[in-house]
Amino acid sequence: MDRDLLRQSVSYHGHPLFSLLKCEQQENPDFQCIAGDLSRTVQYRKERRVENVAVQQFIARKADLLFSPSWQSSTPSVKEETEDMYAVMPPLEQFMEVPGSDRRNLFFRDIERGDVVIGRINSIREFGFFVTVICLSGGLGRDIEDLEITALCPLRDVPTHGNHDDPLSYYQNGDLIQAGVKDVDRYHEKLTLSLQPSSLPPSLSHLKLGVIGVDDMPAHYSRSVAVANSTTETYEKVLEHTLGFANPSTVEFLLGKLGISEIDPASLMRGLQTKNFLKEDYATSIRKKQSASWALKCVKIGVDHFKSGRHVEAMNEYNKGLEIDTNNVEALVARGALYATKGSLNKAIDDFELALESCPTHRNARKYLCQTLVERGGQVEEEEKLVTAEGLYRKALALDETFEEAEEALQKLQKHIQKSLKLKEEEAAKEEKDMNKSVETSAEKLRKLLKEEKRKKKKRKRSSSSSSSSDSTLSSIRKKSKKRKKRSISSHSHRKRSHRSSSNEDKTFDSKEEWYPPPANTSASFLTQKQDMAKLLEGNVRSIEQKSQVKGKRHNRSMSSSSVEILNDDGGDRSEDSIDSFHRFQAGSSKGKSQCSIDGDSRHHISKSRHRVSSGKEGEVNHYSKRQDQESGIHQGLYGSAEKSIHRKNSSSSAGSEYSRKCDKYGYERRNSYSQDHSCSKNVDGGDKREEYKIEEDVSKVKPKGEENVQSRGRSQNGKESAAEETADKNLPSNLLNIFSQIAQFEKEKCSKQKK
Amino acid sequence: MCVFSLSLFSPPPHISGVKLGMSSEPLATACTVYHRFFQSCSPHVFEPYLVAMAAIYLAGKVEEQHLRTRDIINVCHRYLNPGSDPLELDSRFWDLRDSIVQCELLVLRVLNFQVSFQHPHKYLLHYLLSLKALMNRHAWDRTPIAVTTWALLRDSYHGSLCHPPQHVAVAILYLALEALGVEVPVEGEKEWWQVLSDDITKPAIDDIIFELIQIYNMDAKCT
Repeated sequence: MDRDLLRQSVSYHGHPLFSLLKCEQQENPDFQCIAGDLSRTVQYRKERRVENVAVQQFIARKADLLFSPSWQSSTPSVKEETEDMYAVMPPLEQFMEVPGSDRRNLFFRDIERGDVVIGRINSIREFGFFVTVICLSGGLGRDIEDLEITALCPLRDVPTHGNHDDPLSYYQNGDLIQAGVKDVDRYHEKLTLSLQPSSLPPSLSHLKLGVIGVDDMPAHYSRSVAVANSTTETYEKVLEHTLGFANPSTVEFLLGKLGISEIDPASLMRGLQTKNFLKEDYATSIRKKQSASWALKCVKIGVDHFKSGRHVEAMNEYNKGLEIDTNNVEALVARGALYATKGSLNKAIDDFELALESCPTHRNARKYLCQTLVERGGQVEEEEKLVTAEGLYRKALALDETFEEAEEALQKLQKHIQKSLKLKEEEAAKEEKDMNKSVETSAEKLRKLLKEEKRKKKKRKRSSSSSSSSDSTLSSIRKKSKKRKKRSISSHSHRKRSHRSSSNEDKTFDSKEEWYPPPANTSASFLTQKQDMAKLLEGNVRSIEQKSQVKGKRHNRSMSSSSVEILNDDGGDRSEDSIDSFHRFQAGSSKGKSQCSIDGDSRHHISKSRHRVSSGKEGEVNHYSKRQDQESGIHQGLYGSAEKSIHRKNSSSSAGSEYSRKCDKYGYERRNSYSQDHSCSKNVDGGDKREEYKIEEDVSKVKPKGEENVQSRGRSQNGKESAAEETADKNLPSNLLNIFSQIAQFEKEKCSKQKK
Repeated sequence: MCVFSLSLFSPPPHISGVKLGMSSEPLATACTVYHRFFQSCSPHVFEPYLVAMAAIYLAGKVEEQHLRTRDIINVCHRYLNPGSDPLELDSRFWDLRDSIVQCELLVLRVLNFQVSFQHPHKYLLHYLLSLKALMNRHAWDRTPIAVTTWALLRDSYHGSLCHPPQHVAVAILYLALEALGVEVPVEGEKEWWQVLSDDITKPAIDDIIFELIQIYNMDAKCT
């Protein structure tokens, strides 16, 4: 029992209370100690108006509760005070109509340092200014406006405002000032104010000192003014009309403000003394226990499922259990084990760790965690993430020092790390070498190619009859192609090709020369043909790549890629490239299979329809149109040379056939030029030699769509039938071979007949 | 005087409410509901503990402090069977839950769906503030006026006081001040308690105080 409280009450009530207390609280040891003191205080009790015996009895009975020290209000929490959290009322004094003198006394009794007052400046002197205090601020409320209390704010407590020499000049009579109370002289009823922020306690430091506006006046003041002006306003009315009163959270807020706790509520009922309540009886703790037991049930069922191998059901049960009671240790361990068995080691590790957090002594959790960590370490090690693996092993060891597997694994790992480090070093050294090598190899290749081409050139010059023309064309074309090469996007392979093509130039050029130059028109039709060409080309490229040797493969690949590049070039390059491709065919696949030949044909035809192929591949019509213009001038020369080369090719065994095949291919590509297709396809055979005249015919028939060569007209009719077949199967590269072979045979017969 | 004595039954809503962590106002609503229900119905016909649980559940909804039936069942079960294990999630549990919900509907119908009450709590808190402003702060801090009033207010729901909330609040404040021997330092034309409520009279205050003390006496007799 709090002595002071008891004393206060006893002095208030006097002797009757004291005697009552004596009877009621006799057993109470606290009271017995204080009894002596109390008897003395009883002498000085005041006159009470009414003596309420019942109340006194009540007090006496409840004394031990009423005056318990634990009932002191807790320090009220300083919260953000917004206007409408509760109803801020005008001072009660006002309603009570307390006389001025009483109020004055009260004011000076209660005012303290650190309080905040608001007043109006009434005079400024050289040593400071005087303020008539209007009201209190910072939560206090008294009705003091009419009391004419003046306070002084000395000069030294007026903060300087930079510009002004004299801080006082900033202020004027009539300004509203908010200031902190620095000193109180209660006896003389004098106040000293200060505008320095240091005069305020920390709880009120947010208040602005100095000049304020009328709007900054505290709410209780404005309300009190309103009340003063009206005659009908009563406390209750004001209370109920204030918005803050209707705020639903006002109770909560005010409880905090007043320091009343709801968690451990006080009561004067004997049965409701919360200190007697058991912690376990509270709802939250019962719920926890209940959740744990419900979850355990689910876990048990889940474990049964797990043992019988029904993993899915087991997982469902575990998850159910964890829903009921999150972080349930048993459920987590069981689920972790399930994850580990299934192989999701990371999830298992997470579960075990969570379980160990809640219950660090869980043996199973610890054991499983170690095992899983080691297993995971093994996995990670295989993935070459050695540092992670090491971390995992160490973790496992930290958990359980006696875990042998972890030790072994760790040692193994360390060895592994050392090995891998060495390996890495070696590899790094290797890579450097390789880098140097690869650079060399490409340069070497280039040199090789150049040599070869030079050789072949010489050969050609000797063998060719129309070498001069071809040479001239070759040279001219070469020059042009060289120029264009520079312009074009060329890879190494492209250059190689161009070099090589120079060796074959004469052949292709000769053949080309016999050809009729293609007109620059009907780009649309060319477009469609391009696509077919591209498809066939791709198909052929693929097949070639499969069959050819590595080098050949490379060439072919580069060929296919270069075909694109070829198309970037102008005619000169085209011919060269076609020759190049032809040469490659010889190098790569001398078998002369239809597929290869087709490819070769197609590539050779590239000279004429290169643009088509490229556009087909690249989808660029623009290229084609550009090239057309550029190439038209060269066409004749090219074709002428091509034709010548065709002748020559025919003299040679596979070359000719291949070339003819190319023609076939070219003819095949064209939808409208049936005859040409026909004649070209004729020659699609594996390794068949063609006669010159056939080739000539074919070559002559090789024209851009929509054009008919004089030479080819005759044969065009021949080729119609087969062409029809061909057109039907154009879009099926897989059937191409069959068709070509058929047509070729047919044509063969026909040509032979014709010749005869 | 309309103190309906339920002293034969310890105040179930109260104790359970505390253990459920209910705040004062919802608890007050629960008690009011409970008392009003038994003004119309006989406790012999309707199981008081069930009605108490239903009242708590209902009050939680009305005063926006939602409580879960599982918690209510747990606490009451524990109260009636001290030291027992938590209930298993079996059919008995679900039956209990269903019965609470059914009872809630019954209670609503008995009360004609008027379950929103004006409680003295808000008034009391504002009065406390006003009074605090009037008093010397140190005197205020020394004497646990606020806590005492709050305790008195909560305890008052063991019975059913049918007085306007303002009056109850004033009376409680008065009693607290009396009990602690605190004097309001000023005296004006009007008494402070006169000011706080428009139509309150001293006899009214006395009546309420008397009732309050009766409640305590009843409780004292039972325990």
